[in-house]
Amino acid sequence: MSAEPMNPSATRRDWTITMPVALLLLAAALASGMAVPMMIASSLLLSLALQAIIEAIFATSVGILIKQNGRISFGQAGFYGAAAYIAALVVERELASPELAIVLALVIPTALAFVLGLLIVKIPGIAFAMVTLAIGQALYEVAYKWRPVTNGDDGLAFSLPDTVFFLDSDIFLSPASMFIVCWCVFVLILFGYAWLSKSPFGQLTEAIRDNPERAQFIGYSITLPRALIYAFAAFVAACAGVLFSLYNGFVSPSIAHWSFSGAGLIMAIIGGPRLIWGPALGAIVYFWIKEVAGDYSDAWPAFVGAILIAVTLLIPSGFGGLLVSLFDRVRRR
Amino acid sequence: MTGATMEARGITCRFAGFVALDSVDITLRPGSISGLIGPNGAGKSTLINALSGAIAPSAGSVSLDGHDVTRMSIVERKRRGLSRSFQKTNIFPDLTLRTQLAVATRAATVKNMDEVAEGLALTELLDVPARDISYGDQRRLDLALALIGRPKVLLLDEPAAGLTAAESRDLARTIKSLVQRWNVTVLLVEHDMEVVFSICEQLYVLHLGKLLTHGDPQTVRANKDVITAYLGSSADEGGDE
Amino acid sequence: MLIQVLNGIVYGGLLYLMAVGLVLIFGLREIGNFAHGALFMVGAYVAYTFSGSYWLGAIFAFLILAAMGVVLDAGVFRPLRRQDHMITILVTFGILLVLEAGVTLVFGKDIRSVPAPALLSGTVNLGGSLFPAYRLFVIAVSFSVAIGLSLWLRYTRTGLYVRAACVDPTTTAVQGVDTDRLSLLVVGLGAALAGLAGAVAAPLVAVSPSMGAFIVIESFIVVVIGGLGSFGGAFVAAMLIGQIHNFGVIYIPWAATTFPFLLMMGVLIWRPTGFAGRRI
Repeated sequence: MSAEPMNPSATRRDWTITMPVALLLLAAALASGMAVPMMIASSLLLSLALQAIIEAIFATSVGILIKQNGRISFGQAGFYGAAAYIAALVVERELASPELAIVLALVIPTALAFVLGLLIVKIPGIAFAMVTLAIGQALYEVAYKWRPVTNGDDGLAFSLPDTVFFLDSDIFLSPASMFIVCWCVFVLILFGYAWLSKSPFGQLTEAIRDNPERAQFIGYSITLPRALIYAFAAFVAACAGVLFSLYNGFVSPSIAHWSFSGAGLIMAIIGGPRLIWGPALGAIVYFWIKEVAGDYSDAWPAFVGAILIAVTLLIPSGFGGLLVSLFDRVRRR
Repeated sequence: MTGATMEARGITCRFAGFVALDSVDITLRPGSISGLIGPNGAGKSTLINALSGAIAPSAGSVSLDGHDVTRMSIVERKRRGLSRSFQKTNIFPDLTLRTQLAVATRAATVKNMDEVAEGLALTELLDVPARDISYGDQRRLDLALALIGRPKVLLLDEPAAGLTAAESRDLARTIKSLVQRWNVTVLLVEHDMEVVFSICEQLYVLHLGKLLTHGDPQTVRANKDVITAYLGSSADEGGDE
Repeated sequence: MLIQVLNGIVYGGLLYLMAVGLVLIFGLREIGNFAHGALFMVGAYVAYTFSGSYWLGAIFAFLILAAMGVVLDAGVFRPLRRQDHMITILVTFGILLVLEAGVTLVFGKDIRSVPAPALLSGTVNLGGSLFPAYRLFVIAVSFSVAIGLSLWLRYTRTGLYVRAACVDPTTTAVQGVDTDRLSLLVVGLGAALAGLAGAVAAPLVAVSPSMGAFIVIESFIVVVIGGLGSFGGAFVAAMLIGQIHNFGVIYIPWAATTFPFLLMMGVLIWRPTGFAGRRI
């Protein structure tokens, strides 16, 4: 059973949203993203914003494992990097169409995660975290050391052909249009995650998270559901990886390094891993800290480390959780 | 759904040289309510663990309705109608009662969530996270999770643990009425003798891993060996009898 | 060939020192110390600070890290001991970041080098091949620790308590053993060994604030393979991984970390939970 600090009362307020309302919200969310480039002219700002969104998607991948499986992974960057590299390699070597490249980049890491998941979800929490670290680093090492294929440390550059999915591939390169693409993927992922979380399957995985032993006693096998969540988290990381790859046209091993996994974990914790949108909020906060604090000192990671410890111990529901309780208090007045 | 037969033959559990259970035989007839009593350390929880599939016995067999389930996993036994509750409350702390009972119901063939929630007086608390309810309510929730699906065989491990005398009596009454309504086969482990004598038709007495005796409550109560076993360890019991 | 095997033993020895620390800390506090690599790094930097006299540096690395371990146990592990595992992972990870950043602030990010002590800067002739004396020293250190540790665990009362507590902390506490005092000793020792490993490794590797990462991951693999509660297992696994890593580096460089990783996955398939009888 988990102890108090990591488990806020997020379940107390159950928003039951009907399907039509949900679809309306989805449409509104997507549309609002499209409005942004019309209001912000600065390419630099849009570029920063879309990178923040990609990191928000990545942070969500970490959050999914924490919320649905109650597990910490230090290896999500491995799946992120794998997806980015697969997309890059398939396009660069012209092994298949860019559309298929994107599909493969999403499917392969997810499938790999599922198979690995079946093996590793049975491992208790601490050892699991160590194993995910090893997995992530193994993928990093493949990117770093397999020079003939990945170009190693030099990285791999590629350019997209003229059209992808019947769209002009330039949309992936211009900040304004790519912002919209990233925003739409982000919104769809969050809605999908929310829907999953509320579904019977989502509830089952949270039950398994809370008490795997009792879950078995009430009749559920506990390996498959957890492996599916691990695969879903890898899928989300892969989405972020593909977006990164398409936008930058360049991949290098550092994107799969465990320090990026660590950053994603920090983002999820700061924002509040028990909220669907918590990790995304954390990504924005982290991004901001990095920009601001990084200007002052090379030791800004110490600041981040301190914040991580403080949030873990003092604000376990993250800044997102704080916002939620603030909102609740205001509502009650 | 009528209760099933449960039989255990020669159950022996050894942990690194220590013999927790020594060739224990239990027969539970369909719809019967049997009690399992004995001083502390007798091996009662170990036996429940062996019957429910939590541990694999070093020797012996367990069968449910004639089918050998000794090699079956916890989940497989559950699907065949075996259910258990826990001495140390074993619930889902972050989920609301509604959610966890719903999850349990989805795995069950009989969808009796409302019946169970009503029977155990949990209807008012359905939307509260389990960690926020009182200890007594949590004990009832633990039991509720075991009752979802109208099990054929129910293993209750000290359901009254930590409850007041009044709460225990209440619980005993609730268990008795539900169990008789559904005709479930029950094996009840309990220290609270009031509960045991008010519900059980027959008793098994375990002492130091061995089956001391079994029979109807009155006979067992008067059995000299049973009295000695309890008196011998009355220091541990803290005057339970 | 002999040289290659010996190099494998050198690396395996370092892995063993790290793994033992992890097993000790995990055994008593049930905490996966994600800051262990940073402790290794700090040990190396202590050695760097005492560049003039290596032996002083090694001793101070051991002592300073022992003190840090004690502070860590009293200040972090003990208060958090009943919390969810996720909290301790996050807190130790936070400590890792703070340590790395702290060292960067003091020493900068540049790679430093630490010279081997003059006494050991020569080579030894082993059956025709020359092998650096310092590397033999590293092997001697790790083997001494292994022997010393197993003697201590087997033949002293404290060692017995440690073994008992590693297997079952709750019962040991009930028997009247002061697990908190024991933990201070054990965590201090575990951290000290990491620091020693860092000081000993310093003349062999590039010393930088992020140097802990490369060894801590393989140390984790060693612990998982050898068994989360097993000291003997840690030794065997460390030697095995040391050889695999070394041969990998020479013959198939791009798979150097992949092989230990695959071995770990193989072991996990075979024995998914609770190695060496340890209920995690």
